[in-house]
Amino acid sequence: MSNHEHKDNSHRSAMKSGMSRRQFLSYTLGGAGAFMAAGMSLPMIRFAVDPILKKKAGGTWIKVVEASKITNEPQEFKFKIHQVDGWYVSDPELTAWISKDDQGNAFALSPICKHLGCTIAWNTEKNNEYVCPCHNAHYTKDGKNLVVAPKPLDEYDLKIENDWVYLGPVKANTRVV
Amino acid sequence: MAHGHKSNEKVVFVGDSRVRKKTKTGPSVPPDYSSYPGKSEAFIPNFLLKEWMVGVVVLVGFLVLTISEAAPLGYPADPTNAAFIPMPDWYFLFLYQFLKLQYVSKDYVVLGTVGVPGIAFGALLLAPFLDTGKERRFYRRPITSLLMIMALVSCFWLTKQSWDHYQHELEITNTIPEHILREEKAEEAAKKAAESGGGGEAAEVEVPLVDKDDPAVELTKKAQCVACHGADLKGNESSGIPSFHGIGDEYSKEDLVDIVTNGKNNMPPFKDKLTAEEIDQLATWLAKQKKPE
Amino acid sequence: MLKGVYNWIDERLDITPMWRDVADHEVPEHVNPAHHFSAFVYCFGGLTFFITVIQILSGMFLTMYFVPDIINAYKSVDYLQHKVAFGGIVRGMHHWGASLVIVMMFLHTLRVFFTGSYKAPREMNWVVGMLIFFIMLGLGFTGYLLPWDNKAYFATKVGIQIAESVPYIGTYIKELMQGGEIVGAETLTRFFAIHVFFLPGALLALLAAHFFMIRKQGISGPL
Repeated sequence: MSNHEHKDNSHRSAMKSGMSRRQFLSYTLGGAGAFMAAGMSLPMIRFAVDPILKKKAGGTWIKVVEASKITNEPQEFKFKIHQVDGWYVSDPELTAWISKDDQGNAFALSPICKHLGCTIAWNTEKNNEYVCPCHNAHYTKDGKNLVVAPKPLDEYDLKIENDWVYLGPVKANTRVV
Repeated sequence: MAHGHKSNEKVVFVGDSRVRKKTKTGPSVPPDYSSYPGKSEAFIPNFLLKEWMVGVVVLVGFLVLTISEAAPLGYPADPTNAAFIPMPDWYFLFLYQFLKLQYVSKDYVVLGTVGVPGIAFGALLLAPFLDTGKERRFYRRPITSLLMIMALVSCFWLTKQSWDHYQHELEITNTIPEHILREEKAEEAAKKAAESGGGGEAAEVEVPLVDKDDPAVELTKKAQCVACHGADLKGNESSGIPSFHGIGDEYSKEDLVDIVTNGKNNMPPFKDKLTAEEIDQLATWLAKQKKPE
Repeated sequence: MLKGVYNWIDERLDITPMWRDVADHEVPEHVNPAHHFSAFVYCFGGLTFFITVIQILSGMFLTMYFVPDIINAYKSVDYLQHKVAFGGIVRGMHHWGASLVIVMMFLHTLRVFFTGSYKAPREMNWVVGMLIFFIMLGLGFTGYLLPWDNKAYFATKVGIQIAESVPYIGTYIKELMQGGEIVGAETLTRFFAIHVFFLPGALLALLAAHFFMIRKQGISGPL
């Protein structure tokens, strides 16, 4: 190849053949540098972003409370789920606000405020609404967002079997259109 | 490459290193500020001494602060704690409060989290390229100065709003911030330990429930005690909800009847939900909850 | 004796010009608080650096006891603050110092802004200074989580939620910060690594650039 003739040229007269010896060396240096940088950092970057690329496990049903305990007034229920957080396996308690609507269908709302993730509670300001203490977001009993929050409260999948309420994974609110 | 020396220029190195051998010339003199008015002085030791005087004053104030005010520490993180009112560190409060404003929350939350702060901080970052005039005095470049002053005023105002709102929330929910609560408890415990003499570092022992099969246990479920005090009836220390375990050591049966009937702090009265006999039964059982001797 | 040691090193490494350059450079009168009391506003930069040194040192010592793990983080902070001699003071220095750094840096930024010192030829130094500002805020945010008490946990949750509202890539930012689907064990180790290695590394590099540019360009003239 053309490299051959470069050998004899001093760099002062090399311009005519397109690439000087010095340029060639610079490109090679750049290439080797890029290879070393990539070889070093690729494993580290893949290592760091692993949480994004991991497959998410599907949810399971958790037995929470007897169906007869559910009233029209929302009540707070805690239930334990099996949680794998990296190396840390635990059975933390989650909270759901469960109530019945006018047709008598039970539904469960997540207490995580849709504004910025604080924890809401029922009726703390005595106006029959869910209220978030952080930014004063309000929600109706169905979880419909009244002020501040951009979306209605999330809902848990809920089923009743043998007079027990089972809760599944959290999903977007289906009660508010 | 032409990096050989000219033959008449004699540079002597130390050994075979590239460090030049000392010549007899005096210390190098960096350019002075003779074009600026007044007297300039050397950085070390003259000027640095003055700066360190200021540093000493600041350090003394700082150490006094660290000794007199302990760094706050609340209770261990409990993701299920629904009563906790989150607060970021004070220097994020302006941003936190800003996000409550009507036109940057709800559907416009992107404007609040990315849009406005992005423009504001971007403008700050690129200030030298936006304000390119030669004039340096702030009163001679009113637009830049005014924008900055307005930004400052809104930051101060938002921070104050946020703090006031937090105080208001604490008041209406009757909450004492955890780190303060914790310090008070620790002080009380220390006092108690001092009174009882010795023992001092009594490790916290799990207090078991007494008479687990008592029919009153069913009442705790019926009356929804469990909703606040937890299914294990251990309460939630960080929210100020007491545990039932060992509660008999703190209150007599009469106190307990009164608390259940009329409520206390955040606890609602139960006189409408339970009959007098039921309350009596519950209080009797609660009063039995004492630490094992 | 000491002079002998110095001369021995100097002969081999020629270090005199390096420190003489720093030591002998003249500082003009208009920034000297001994001449004009109002010139104390020019001290804020130096004080920011002073507090930063305290932060780095106290942080290094705190890691002697701190454990970045959700089961033990709180307990280790509790232990180092209440059981270790001077633990309250060392943690206090790191805690209050974090606030003080922000205050000093804020005042320093305002001084530079209102004296117009960011103007040509010092544009790059302003940009580097702002980057230092953002890194400091990042250090504040990541450091807040480490004691793993309720305040730390919930403030971080809110912070991450804010990051999540970024369009399109919000969810990825959130999971990358959390190191998983929840704020938990992996979030704490991640924040610890960022707080102790990544951000301080970047901070030191930027500080070096900041000081190099100040030394090269000199202080801005009187108004």
